[in-house]
Amino acid sequence: MDKTKRNFLKGAAAAVLGPTSVGPAGWASAGERPRGSDSNRWAMVVDLRKCIGCQACTVACGMENAVPLGKFRTIVSNYEVELQDQVRSVVLPRLCNHCENPPCVPVCPVGATYQRNDGIVVVDNERCVGCGYCVQACPYDARFINPETQAADKCTFCVHRVEAGLLPACVETCVGGARIFGDLKDPDSTVSRLVAELPTKGLRPEMKTRPQVYYVGLDERFQSKVEGEPTLWRKEAIHGEFAQ
Amino acid sequence: MSASRRNFIKGATAVGALGAFGYGYSHTANEMLKGLLGERQSADRISGNAPKPEFAVDPVTGHLTPNPEQTVAYTLCMGCTTICGVRVRVDNARNKVLRVTGNPYHVLSSDPFLPYETSVSDSFQALSRYQERGLVARSTACGRGNAVLEKLDAAQRVRVPLKRVGKRGSGQWAPISFEQLVEEVVAGGDLFGEGRVEGLQAIRDLETPIDPEQPEFGPKANQLAVMPAFKDGRLRFAARFAKQSFGTVNFAGHRSYCGLSMRAGYAALLGEWKKMPHLKPDFSNSEFLLFIGTAPASAGNPFKRQGQLLAKARSDGKLKYVVVDPVLTNSDNLSSGERSRWIPIKPGTDGALVMAMIRWILENDRYDAGFLSRPSAAAAAVAGEAGWSNASHLVIVQENHPERGKFLRAADVVAGNAEEIMVIDPASGQALPQGAVQEAVLFYEGSIKVPGGTEIAVKSSLALLRDEARGHTLQEYAEACGISVDTIIELADEFTSHGKRAAVDCHGGTMASNGFYNAYAIVMLNALVGNLNVKGGTGAGGGKFKEIAPGPRYNLKKFAGAVKPKGVGLGRNAPYEKSTEYKRKLAKGENPYPAKAPWYSLSPTMTSEFLPSALNEYPYPLKALILWSSNPLYGVAGLREQIKEKLADPKALPLIVSIDPFINESNAYADYIVPDSVLYESWGWASAWGAHLTKVSTARWPVVEPAQTKNAEGRPIDMETFFIAVAKRMGLPGFGDNAITDKDGKQYPLQSAEDFYLRAAANVAFDGRPVPDASDEDIALSGVTRIASTLQQTLKPDEWRKVAYVYARGGRFENGDRSYEGELLRHRYDKPMQIYDEHLATARHSLTGEYFVGTPTWVPPALADGSPLAAAFPPTEWPFQAVSTKSQLQSSHTIDAQSLRAIHPSNTIGLHRSDAERLGVRSGEAVRVTTPGGSVEAIAQVRSGIKRGVLGIEHGFGHRQLGASVQRIGKQVLPADGGAGNGVSINDLGFADPKRSGYCVLTDWVVGSVARQGLPAKIEKL
Repeated sequence: MDKTKRNFLKGAAAAVLGPTSVGPAGWASAGERPRGSDSNRWAMVVDLRKCIGCQACTVACGMENAVPLGKFRTIVSNYEVELQDQVRSVVLPRLCNHCENPPCVPVCPVGATYQRNDGIVVVDNERCVGCGYCVQACPYDARFINPETQAADKCTFCVHRVEAGLLPACVETCVGGARIFGDLKDPDSTVSRLVAELPTKGLRPEMKTRPQVYYVGLDERFQSKVEGEPTLWRKEAIHGEFAQ
Repeated sequence: MSASRRNFIKGATAVGALGAFGYGYSHTANEMLKGLLGERQSADRISGNAPKPEFAVDPVTGHLTPNPEQTVAYTLCMGCTTICGVRVRVDNARNKVLRVTGNPYHVLSSDPFLPYETSVSDSFQALSRYQERGLVARSTACGRGNAVLEKLDAAQRVRVPLKRVGKRGSGQWAPISFEQLVEEVVAGGDLFGEGRVEGLQAIRDLETPIDPEQPEFGPKANQLAVMPAFKDGRLRFAARFAKQSFGTVNFAGHRSYCGLSMRAGYAALLGEWKKMPHLKPDFSNSEFLLFIGTAPASAGNPFKRQGQLLAKARSDGKLKYVVVDPVLTNSDNLSSGERSRWIPIKPGTDGALVMAMIRWILENDRYDAGFLSRPSAAAAAVAGEAGWSNASHLVIVQENHPERGKFLRAADVVAGNAEEIMVIDPASGQALPQGAVQEAVLFYEGSIKVPGGTEIAVKSSLALLRDEARGHTLQEYAEACGISVDTIIELADEFTSHGKRAAVDCHGGTMASNGFYNAYAIVMLNALVGNLNVKGGTGAGGGKFKEIAPGPRYNLKKFAGAVKPKGVGLGRNAPYEKSTEYKRKLAKGENPYPAKAPWYSLSPTMTSEFLPSALNEYPYPLKALILWSSNPLYGVAGLREQIKEKLADPKALPLIVSIDPFINESNAYADYIVPDSVLYESWGWASAWGAHLTKVSTARWPVVEPAQTKNAEGRPIDMETFFIAVAKRMGLPGFGDNAITDKDGKQYPLQSAEDFYLRAAANVAFDGRPVPDASDEDIALSGVTRIASTLQQTLKPDEWRKVAYVYARGGRFENGDRSYEGELLRHRYDKPMQIYDEHLATARHSLTGEYFVGTPTWVPPALADGSPLAAAFPPTEWPFQAVSTKSQLQSSHTIDAQSLRAIHPSNTIGLHRSDAERLGVRSGEAVRVTTPGGSVEAIAQVRSGIKRGVLGIEHGFGHRQLGASVQRIGKQVLPADGGAGNGVSINDLGFADPKRSGYCVLTDWVVGSVARQGLPAKIEKL
């Protein structure tokens, strides 16, 4: 066990800690972990006009990352909504937003969740104690506890692929080409161009997380909650919340 | 567990910190304890258990570094009938497929797709971040395509040959050797202690008629039926055995219960009933598309390509589109705003909508007269048209005329070119042969003088269509389909406002009991805007390279002793008027109509009729059935419930053999099961089904070692091994030594699947301009190393490297720059569009004796004799209509892919909010749906996106097998897989047609396609 975790655990034993009162204990000593390059800022544009709700991303992510069955790092929420006299289909691919201001990071009592220099928010599963504070802190329901690694788990932008010069699994297999991944610090990248040229929105702006998943064609009425009927039936999704 | 962790738990527990999780995150407390107490399984502190990438590409230099522990190979997906080219990533040491995505050379997986000459190494680089190439050359698999690899290792997979023990259908099996299975199936005998069973050897009698009194049924060999699924790349091998070698006529796939109504509609439009070609819009260049009874981006074929093209066209392109469907799907997309629109319609009433549109278009001169008026291919070419039609052709409408319903031909009027069809020359007002007129009169009704001085009443095809369209007012049509007159006019106006850059398409949504005429009406709209073979219009597909067909290297189609099967098949797909039954009745002075059961002379061999016909013994019983990867009891609406008991009786059908890696609803009744390869373990040659503008030949080849057992010769047991063994045991032609002939007449053996498919690959490689030789690097990177020695052993020295080039790329593909020729499609359909179909109009209904209408017409949902369905099942008693909707996740055989069920574990009964309120039903509550055929209990889902009065049931659920039931092999148990039986199948709600007798299902009254749309139903809350 590393020093940070030990220090935190001491503290935890000494005080009652609510999720919001937990600070980034021992953050500075995390130097040995992969941090990426600060010359990149990885981000995703999701062009909702191009999403067909096929869930290729969902399955590919699970296969690529060996995510336990029934847990999702990404999924496409699918609703039907009534607008004036029309009924319309809404698709909303969801994943970790790799926020500029990630609320999951400061609540981690052991510094297991951290943001790399290239913007990717990751979880160090060796350090994570599975307390679930981050799961609760994420306004996007993007995290869960992985029963195999027994750590908080979430989208890594497939950092192991990105570092091999490849694309995240969900992007590679996106049938409609809705998911576009790239480097916002490269002004010539597709994501930079799209963010500059097209109106984009992030989910839950009221949380001031500065999400780095930019949606094209996101109806502002649905930025924080979709008032509609989930169409891809799952018992858990029946009430139309963002819950996975 | 470390001391510190223990301390943390103690502390946390002591101060009550776990109570802090009371925010609806109770599961995390539980997980947290596991996290602290249990053993962690994680390979990497950040990336967890993700396997290492398959290769790396330097984002600066583009340099490729392969991962020697893994292989990426290009082969074929079998997740649905689209059969896309995919890339399969294999863990070499474990022979395990890790992930599947698209083949970037393949048109069904990528837009644009890579030029064929691209090296394999470059194809990998093209998928990477290097210069962001992977965003452009992105090659995908859909959700299902990503998930179906799970079938390879499914606990329910059958890996050994099985023989039933105990009663048929009891789920008790004994593993037996392949050799014993072949011997018993061929020789027959008292195989089950139930009496003597005739083996295939005895059944294969090409001389003795089934019934000497009714010789049209053909020889006894027809009493074997072989039911494959579809063109999955292996069909031609099975056909070689069943038709050419064994000699039965009863061999066909699933078309009659899949999309036959659509195929028949296009067959009428395109004047080709045998091959049944069909059109697809050129999505990329269309300005307006109308989808009726099909839901691109949600379903359809090719599912993925249509989804990809639609997504692109509605965002980057100019496309606006409307989807007309009783149920809202992901074809619609809110973010696309006004580009996309859904219009709900009553089930089975597409024809009313479209006949109204046709009426408006014809009466308001909104049709493409320039296209329609060209009476010949030559005249069209002069006018710069890419296609032509028979709109101006004159039809004999004189009652009681012996040629009534046929076109007026030159020979009818004057001596000369007999086959030319007469049209009216606008300049002279005279009837002239089509070749003599550049632009003919479109609407004509009158009489033509013929030799002998008499006159024959004729009408032009377009005038006949207008007559039919005028059969009802717009208001009547609107009431029939539930779409307002204003909306109908708006659609017709929009459709005819884009020149030839508008198109319509339909598919399985037309599978109602009146599906044929609905489909013919829908696709007729394409003719009215003259969009055939035009950019932004429609095309019949780009074709494929010659593989099986006599190719440049080998003739895999013909062989010495090949049989040409004879006789009427069990689908009765022949004119009733040629039957002995008809002639006998006529001879007795009786009205020959109705036939004992419908004869569908317009349709190709229909497997949906095989089992009912055999069990009714009309026209004749079966002695043996071979099911290969097919599942009619799940797929044919109304069949399983009716025949399940009879099928379990070996006296009714003495021998049932299945070749399948899984036990499904149909082969649960088999006597023997031959295991088969799964997905990426098989050989084959496939193509694209539609929406491809260039030639496609997809290579299916084993990129992993097949997991089923091997026979005594060491070959994996599969369909090919079985048919080869049976043919050799029986001494049938076409298999064994000297079964294949090359272009020089030299002979080669057919002893293995490789002998057949590798020679087909040589044909592909050498078709037209031969492909280059594969480089060593191509072979090494693509996994072709696995099969390289087989290639060298089987093929000629100048062939194997070219074949390797093809396998390294997953097939052979014409480059995308061959799609267009200016404003035209490069691959064009050259026959005329049939405003009036002579073949249809001269056929009679076998129950009523009436001639069919030769143009589209509006007929409400009907029973077998054409009488209204609603008369037999009045809406007062059956106030709802059940429809089948396609799933973007499940196909008929993917329920065992657990990743799909994790996302969407069950289907529901979708019903409209207003109906639900009236019934007091809320989403998630249990309901019972009843039709004349049965009832199911299911979960209700209250929706706004469904037409009132409609119950929407997503296909792919409600399985009774494929893991839903336990099967026992000796002492081994193939476990029930919790969830495989979730939901309901609409096909359990199908029913017998009251106008027919015996075992039968509701079908389209013209072509016999099985009706699964618009089943009369009622629903109650439980």
